[in-house]
Amino acid sequence: MFPIYKKELQSFFYTPFAYAIAALFLLLFALPMANMISDLGKNTSVSANMMPFSFTEMFYSVILYFIFLLPILTMRTFADERKNGTEVLLMTSPVSVAKIVIAKFLANVTVYLFMIAGTLIFPIITAIKGEVVISQLICAYIGIFCWGLMYIALGMLISALTESSILAAIIGEVVMFMLLFIDDFANSGFMSQFPKAQSVLYAFAAQPRFAYFSEGFVRLSDLTFFASAIIVLLVWTYIAIEKRRWNRG
Amino acid sequence: MITIENLTKYYGSNRAVNHISFTINDNEILGFLGPNGAGKSTTMNMIAGYLPMSDGTVSIYGADITKEPLKAKKNIGYLPEIPPVYPDMKVKEYLSFCAGLKQVPRGERKDEIERVMKLLKVKDVEGKLIRNLSKGYKQRAGFAQALLGNPKFLILDEPTVGLDPNQVAEVRAIIKDLKKEHSVIFSSHILSEVSAVCDRVVIINKGDIRAIDTIENLERSVSASLTLHIKVKGDRTKAASVIEMTKGVKEITAIDDEGSSIYAFTVQLEGDFDTARDAIMAECIKNGVSILEIYADKPNLESVFIELINRPVKKSGLEELLEETPDESGEAEGESDENSEEKEEE
Repeated sequence: MFPIYKKELQSFFYTPFAYAIAALFLLLFALPMANMISDLGKNTSVSANMMPFSFTEMFYSVILYFIFLLPILTMRTFADERKNGTEVLLMTSPVSVAKIVIAKFLANVTVYLFMIAGTLIFPIITAIKGEVVISQLICAYIGIFCWGLMYIALGMLISALTESSILAAIIGEVVMFMLLFIDDFANSGFMSQFPKAQSVLYAFAAQPRFAYFSEGFVRLSDLTFFASAIIVLLVWTYIAIEKRRWNRG
Repeated sequence: MITIENLTKYYGSNRAVNHISFTINDNEILGFLGPNGAGKSTTMNMIAGYLPMSDGTVSIYGADITKEPLKAKKNIGYLPEIPPVYPDMKVKEYLSFCAGLKQVPRGERKDEIERVMKLLKVKDVEGKLIRNLSKGYKQRAGFAQALLGNPKFLILDEPTVGLDPNQVAEVRAIIKDLKKEHSVIFSSHILSEVSAVCDRVVIINKGDIRAIDTIENLERSVSASLTLHIKVKGDRTKAASVIEMTKGVKEITAIDDEGSSIYAFTVQLEGDFDTARDAIMAECIKNGVSILEIYADKPNLESVFIELINRPVKKSGLEELLEETPDESGEAEGESDENSEEKEEE
């Protein structure tokens, strides 16, 4: 299992891939921060009940960028193995498919941690110049971490379903986008005609759960939601790979 | 010993491999021969544990590939049709990854990588990206991977495809050498290669085994109808009548005039070759026809191969016959077979 993990990391870090994606992530993170800070200066007189500048607000907007970055991170996971014909190598070596999936998941998570770690610089800068509510920040980080893990597992599943990594990225973006706005859709006037369907859809919504994290709550039910989503997606990935072996041709 | 029993693979309703059984003995090179689309790669993928089989068992030194895959796979080195190399890795990096994957103990890894690099002569490109290597080097890097950890059983799917003649000779020599410590199954559609390297051959077509035997036995098996070439000097009609009347001669198929009353006869024999030849010679001498030259077309593996793959399969039972009936025209069957091969290659 470890050799696969190591190989995956090498393919990220020996190439500009991980650095480019982390840099892009930082840039996308920096933009709303810069905006918010400049708004803070402008708007103090406009509205009395304006939210104070907070990182949790920022994380909220950053989630949207995940949709573009995480599929790019995960797109190659299995699609490239198939394209190169190296899937055979992995499958015929004395490593079980479950271990392959876990190793690849952990490698993606490591790159993801690397990306997130870079964003720590913003609270640090803020802490120097102002004040940071550490407890809330930690909760928001836990939330964003869980969310990212779920998207990575989802991206891997999609990568396991196709041979083209570009296709995996595009499908990933569409699915993740839908998942992000599923609660908005569930709350829409159209869906309120079907309360049962609405509640089912709402159960899949991750955003309201993330909202709790960003407000400083770590609820067991939310953690369970993310954990079960990750497990389901990884098991599904495993099944998708096995199924394709059986159905090939 | 590797035992393959009743191995079957369906792609949908299309049967790619049909109940094949054979064994590979220790220190034996088994050739796996068949035209394109015969089911060679499918079979090898199943033996290696990449493709699950629809039916049947594969046992690698006592470990069933589906029941104890990890144990069985430890003894397998597999070189698939397309070498499984990562274009973004350097050769040495790749082999070191594979060594880890195959659980070569950490302390032995370095020596093991050096050993296979030397054996396959990829040492001089060890620092190059695989992406930039020629087909021959990629193939050899893939081959080197299969030898890592010295697995007892090697599965080589067309290992010499895409190599230049010099490399082909080298790789064949390596395979022959592997026999000392390994059992090898080796697929090819090149006959000369198989006859040069293998101890025994399995001939397969459209998923059916056509023959399992040593090369010598196979050659002998089709020698029932033989062609004899006789050059005689003298009267043409007399020679012809003498030859034709001899016992064991089926017919004279051609008579060529070579000038100065020398005639070349092409004669089809039936029955035992040696008796017929001796009879012809005796008759000619008795009747005063002088023989200048007499030789037979030696059947080679090529003709054996062509005959075997074109020979209709004997149906083992009514059930099997009935199973065949949906594909009525032979052509359609051929086409669907081709399709399945294409899909396989994808």
